[in-house]
Amino acid sequence: MEIINVENVRKTYRMGDNIVKAVDGVTLNVFGGEYLIIMGPSGSGKTTLMHLMGCLDKPDSGEIYLAGKCVSKLNDRDLARVRNKMIGFVFQQFNLLPRLTALENVELPMIYAGVPRAIRHKRAKEVLTMVGLRDRMEHKPTQLSGGQMQRVAIARALANQPQIILADEPTGNLDSKSGEEILKIFSDLHSDGLTIIVVTHDLEVAANGQRVIHMRDGRIVSQEVRTSVRNA
Amino acid sequence: MLEMLKEAFRSISANKLRTALSMVGIIIGVAAVIAVVSVAEGTSQSIKQNLSAIGSNLIMISPGFTRGGGGRISTSLSDLLTKDDAQKIQQLCPSVVYVTPMQQGNFLVQYERQNTMTTVLAVYPQVFNMMNLNLQEGEYFTQEDENSRRRVAVIGKEIADMLFPDGDAVGKTIRITSQSIRQNYKIIGVLEKSGTLLFLNPDRSILVPFSAAENRLFRRSYVSSIIAQAYSEEVAPQAVSEIDAILYSKFQNEDKYRIVSQEAMLQTINQTMSLLSFMLGSIAGISLLVGGIGIMNIMLVTVTERTREIGVRKAVGANRRHILTQFLLESVILTLVAGVIGVGVGILLSRTIALIGSIQTAVTPIVILIAVSVSIAVGVFFGVFPAMKAAKLNPVEALRYE
Ligand SMILES: Nc1ncnc2c1ncn2[C@@H]1O[C@H](COP(=O)(O)OP(=O)(O)OP(=O)(O)O)[C@@H](O)[C@H]1O
Ligand SMILES: [Mg+2]
Repeated sequence: MEIINVENVRKTYRMGDNIVKAVDGVTLNVFGGEYLIIMGPSGSGKTTLMHLMGCLDKPDSGEIYLAGKCVSKLNDRDLARVRNKMIGFVFQQFNLLPRLTALENVELPMIYAGVPRAIRHKRAKEVLTMVGLRDRMEHKPTQLSGGQMQRVAIARALANQPQIILADEPTGNLDSKSGEEILKIFSDLHSDGLTIIVVTHDLEVAANGQRVIHMRDGRIVSQEVRTSVRNA
Repeated sequence: MLEMLKEAFRSISANKLRTALSMVGIIIGVAAVIAVVSVAEGTSQSIKQNLSAIGSNLIMISPGFTRGGGGRISTSLSDLLTKDDAQKIQQLCPSVVYVTPMQQGNFLVQYERQNTMTTVLAVYPQVFNMMNLNLQEGEYFTQEDENSRRRVAVIGKEIADMLFPDGDAVGKTIRITSQSIRQNYKIIGVLEKSGTLLFLNPDRSILVPFSAAENRLFRRSYVSSIIAQAYSEEVAPQAVSEIDAILYSKFQNEDKYRIVSQEAMLQTINQTMSLLSFMLGSIAGISLLVGGIGIMNIMLVTVTERTREIGVRKAVGANRRHILTQFLLESVILTLVAGVIGVGVGILLSRTIALIGSIQTAVTPIVILIAVSVSIAVGVFFGVFPAMKAAKLNPVEALRYE
């Protein structure tokens, strides 16, 4: 079952007289439960494509379907709901809110989902425990290491039990040991049936995926399939 | 919603100094409004108290100023109010219960070595009843005194204290001097302190029978004014038109006399005071406006500073409404807190003004309510633009923002 269909999607940015075709006619199908790696040189449009798939941005043309539903034409409220319930983002820069504790950061998506306080607390503790931060819940981001911050970010991404995790260079700012811990979590999540899409420059990171696609100048130029996922 | 309130408080308290500074404008604005309105309100209340203390349903009749005569009072007798007019009103106006003509003038008043310039009022004995003048000691002069032109006087409290520092005014004889004329009057009563009543100050007046003073002291056949009293509030307007009919048939010119009922006077005062308090309030309101602009400024800075936060919130599922509400709440809380502090400062200010200026001030609940609501409105009005700006941010660009 395909969970994401990207059909001939384009996204162009205009910088003065310069027109940058960040995503230039990409067609891509991602299967439910797949572990997909996106690679490519800097500026090739990986982040832009990921934002489009994650409903953070709208394509200039082409269609995107999430679980069979066309999201290109959804309004702000419905897009927000898709981001909230269906997708979990993990960023290179962690993007935790500095004034909130780890626990409160994890609760944030659940607040927007309208989850009652008690359930929210319980769930947040649960996911934080899952990523191994049981004893860091009341810490502010500044009191955490990079690896710990990224684990909080993953816990936040998981809070509303999404089907898809979109991670943009999640290990880019981490030392190799912390990076490995993050990759271990992704592999576990993948075994649990989540769809994982990771953008990376790192071949070792890429080695975890089932399929790797390569981008250049806004297009997909090649892909290699490591494990068949069609039957997974 | 509760979470959002918590969030708003948290981010406001994150930058205490800035928050406090941005509130100063609103605090000053609200405090100024409260103080100004309290002074206006207090003044109007004390005037109204005076007006109602003076007895009810009174109607003042005074000479008008003829046009074209340079605003000077006319000197031709047929053009002036006289004692006869007062008697006609008494006889012919069914809605009028009492009438008195009044002569008013400033004279030198002496008792032994003490002397003072003061107002002498020559009136009928009905005046005590009409104007609610109470005795502290002695007695009023009567119709009998009026009829027999008896030289007796009822004097105000301050005059009594001035001329008779040791008390014991009743029974003494004072001398009233006007140029070459001197008349002796025997004091038979002292009035209670009443404060200024409308245009008169009984505390600083000497009341004598009209007949006793009219020919000797005043030596004129016209009167300063006539005071009438209607039977009741209901017939007061009717009394006014009855009096008007009589005077018009005499003067054939409505510019030559003026009839003002107590009610009309109250209305005028009310109007003047509310206009005044509206004007002063508006001026103070301008500082609220300035304060609001300060709030908008700080909210715009906040939105810019927190662009990335907004991006993150949107990435994890916030929609425009969530972001809008969050920032709107922040600005409203800012102005609300500032408004409440402003009310406190305003009340203190109004107390201080009352103490220093020894005038009456009144902070009414309505004013507080209005001030607080206006603060909230300012928060909404000046917070909407920054909050919309935040809500409309493109999440991708917000996330890229450094
Ligand atoms: N908001 C924007 N305004 C203008 N140009 C943009 C914007 N976002 C992306 N671009 C341009 O689009 C192209 C693709 O950018 P994108 O961030 O998707 O690349 P990337 O593959 O993620 O690169 P990197 O590996 O450096 O993260 C780049 O040339 C970038 O300059
Ligand atoms: Mg990128």
